[in-house]
Amino acid sequence: MSTQAKKPRVIERGTPVHRALVGAGLVLLVASTLWLGGLAPFEIGQVTRVMIFAIAIAGLNLATGYVGLLSVGHSAFFGIGAYTTGILMVKEGWEGWATIPVAFAISLVVGLLVGLPALRIRGLYLAMVTLAFAVAFPELVARFSGLTGGASGMTIPRTAMRPPEWTGLGLGEKYVWLFWLSVAVMAITFYVCWCLTRSRYGMAMSAVRQNEIAASASGVDIAVVKVASFGLSGAITGAAGSLFALYMGSLYAEGSFTLMAGITLLIGLVIGGERTVLGPIAGGLAVVYVPYYTADIGSGQSSAVLFALVLLFVIFVAPAGIVGSLAQLIRRRVVVRDPRPVVATDAASAVPETTPQPEHQLDRTSTPIERSRT
Amino acid sequence: MDILLSRVFAGATSGSVYILIALCLVIVFRSSSTINFAQGEFALFTAYITWWLTERGLNPWVAIIPAILIGFAMGALAERWLIRPVARRDETAVLIVALALFTGLNGLDGWIWGSDDKVFPRMLPSGENDFVEIAGARLYYDSMAIWAITAAIVFGLYLFFTYTSMGLQMRAVATNRQSAALSGVRVGRVLTLSWGLSSAISAFAGALLIPMVPPGQLGLTGMFHVLIFATAAALLGGLDSVKGAVVGGLGLGIGLALVNGYATFLGGSMSLTVALVVIVVILLVRPTGLFGARRLERV
Repeated sequence: MSTQAKKPRVIERGTPVHRALVGAGLVLLVASTLWLGGLAPFEIGQVTRVMIFAIAIAGLNLATGYVGLLSVGHSAFFGIGAYTTGILMVKEGWEGWATIPVAFAISLVVGLLVGLPALRIRGLYLAMVTLAFAVAFPELVARFSGLTGGASGMTIPRTAMRPPEWTGLGLGEKYVWLFWLSVAVMAITFYVCWCLTRSRYGMAMSAVRQNEIAASASGVDIAVVKVASFGLSGAITGAAGSLFALYMGSLYAEGSFTLMAGITLLIGLVIGGERTVLGPIAGGLAVVYVPYYTADIGSGQSSAVLFALVLLFVIFVAPAGIVGSLAQLIRRRVVVRDPRPVVATDAASAVPETTPQPEHQLDRTSTPIERSRT
Repeated sequence: MDILLSRVFAGATSGSVYILIALCLVIVFRSSSTINFAQGEFALFTAYITWWLTERGLNPWVAIIPAILIGFAMGALAERWLIRPVARRDETAVLIVALALFTGLNGLDGWIWGSDDKVFPRMLPSGENDFVEIAGARLYYDSMAIWAITAAIVFGLYLFFTYTSMGLQMRAVATNRQSAALSGVRVGRVLTLSWGLSSAISAFAGALLIPMVPPGQLGLTGMFHVLIFATAAALLGGLDSVKGAVVGGLGLGIGLALVNGYATFLGGSMSLTVALVVIVVILLVRPTGLFGARRLERV
C-alpha cells in the first residue's frame, strides 16, 4: 500500500528490547493496581465495578467475539452466578469467595445447555433465543421465590460479607477485600482467555466464526467448539455475576439482570472491541462510567442514547472497537513478531520484506467485515 | 365451560395483539431477510407521540395519524440510512445496528417523556358494562374491536400483496432479489417502503395494544414482552408468511391463556418461559415454521 510508506519498526520476541518492554509493562501494571487499591472507598468501588463488568464482557467475548455466537442474553448468566452466590451465602452460610467456583460450575452447565441449540440455530435466530432467555430469567426467579426471594429480592446480611480472617481485614474494609478478589478473578480470566484464543483451540474458534463448512472440512469439530465456547463464556460471566452479588449485597432480578443488562454487556463488548483481549476492560470502563457521568442529563436515560450513537459510530467507522482500532494504529508503527530463522543464502536475504509479518497467525485472519472495509 | 370460553376470548385478544406485531416482523423479514429487533421500540416511540398529543387535548383517533406518519418515516429512514449500508456486511452488524436503535429509542423515550408510567387513553370502549354474554362468558367490546381491526389489517395486507403493483414487487423482492432487480423492480425503494409500511402498522398497533397488555400503562419496558411473544408467533407460523403470523399469533395467544389457566404447577405466570420454549423448539424442529417457505442456500 502506498499509504504505508514508512516501514513499521520490528521488535522480535526474546530480544532485550522486547524483554525490557514486557518487564516495563508488568511493572506498570502492578504499580497501577497497587495505586488503584489505595484509592478512597467510593473510587475503589467504581473500579471494582469496572472489573466485574470487564470479566463479564470477557466471557461474552469468547462466544460472541471469537466464535460469532451472538448472545443478547448473558445477563441471565450474570444473574445465575449472582443468585448462586446469594443463595449459598444466605441459606448455607458459605463464605463469599468460596461461592465463585460454584457459580462458575453452575453457569458452565447452564451455558452448555443453552449452547446446544446453537448447533442448529444460527445468527439472528440464535440472538432471538438468547433474547428470550434474558427476558424469561426474571420470570424464573419470580417462579422460584422460595429460593430466590422472588420480586422482593434477596439481601445478603452484612456480617456474611466479612473478609476471611487470614486477610487481616475487618468488616469495614470489605471493599478492599472485594477489590483484590476481583483483581484475582480478572487476572485468571484474562490469562485464560489470552492463552485460549492464541491456542489451537482459538484458531478453531476463529475458523468456525468465519466459515463453518470450511472449518468442518478442515477437521474442526464444530459442535464441540460451539457448545464448549458457549458454556465457558456463560461460566465466566457467571463468575462475574458472583462478584456482582458480593459487590451489591442485594439482588433484584427485575433490576440488575434484565434484558437491558444483557444488551449493556453486548454494547460494552462492541465498543471495547470484539476479539481483543483488552477490549472488555475498555467496555467495562464505558458501561460503568458513561452512565455515571451522564446521570444528570435526561433523567438518567441519556446514556442509552449516547451508547446507541457510539454503537452506530463503531459499526460504521471503527468496526474493531476502541482497543482493536488502537491496536491497528500501533501496529502501523511497531510490530512484535517471533524471531526468524537465520537464512544463509544471499538470495533469500535479498528479498525485501514488503509487508510486516503479523504478530500471530490469528491476526492474519480477517472477518468479512474487515475485508469489506479494505 | 364459561371459564374455558373466557380464557379463549382473552387468549384470542392477546393473540390479535401478537398478530399485529408479528405481521410487522413478517413484512420486514419477507423483504430483507432480517428480524427487526427494534420493531417494538418503534411502536413504543410512536405510542409516546400519540400519548403526548392526546395530553395536548387531541382525540386519540386523530393523534394516531401523525404517529403513524412518523412511524412510517422512522422505518423508512432506518432502513435506508442505517440497515442497508451494513446489510451487505453480515448479520452481526445488522443486529448491532438494530440493538443500537433498540436502546437508543428506549433511552430517547425516557429522556423526552420520563421513565414513570403514563396512563394511556383507551381508544376502544372498555367500560364495566361493555360486554355481551356468550354461554356465561363475558366478551368485551374492546376485544371484539381489536379482533375486527386485526382482521381488517390482515385482509388489507392480503389485498395489498395480491392486487397492487407495489405488493407484487415486494413479493418479487422477497422471492429473489436479483431476478426482481433484473425485471426492473427498484429493490432499494421496495425495501425502504416495506420497512416504512411495517413501522406504520406497528405505530397503529402500538397505540391500540398499550392499554391491552399488562400493566396497561405506557412504560419504558412495555414492548419487550410483546416483541418476544410476537417473535414466537411469527416463528411458529413461519417468518415469511402472513397466514403464518395469523395462525401463530392466535395459536400462541390462546395456548398461553390455557397454559396459564390450567397448568397451575407452573405457578401461573410463566408466559415468557413458555414462549422461550416455543421459540427454541420451533427453531430446532421446524425452522421454517408451519407455513414458511424453505429457503435453499448455495454454499
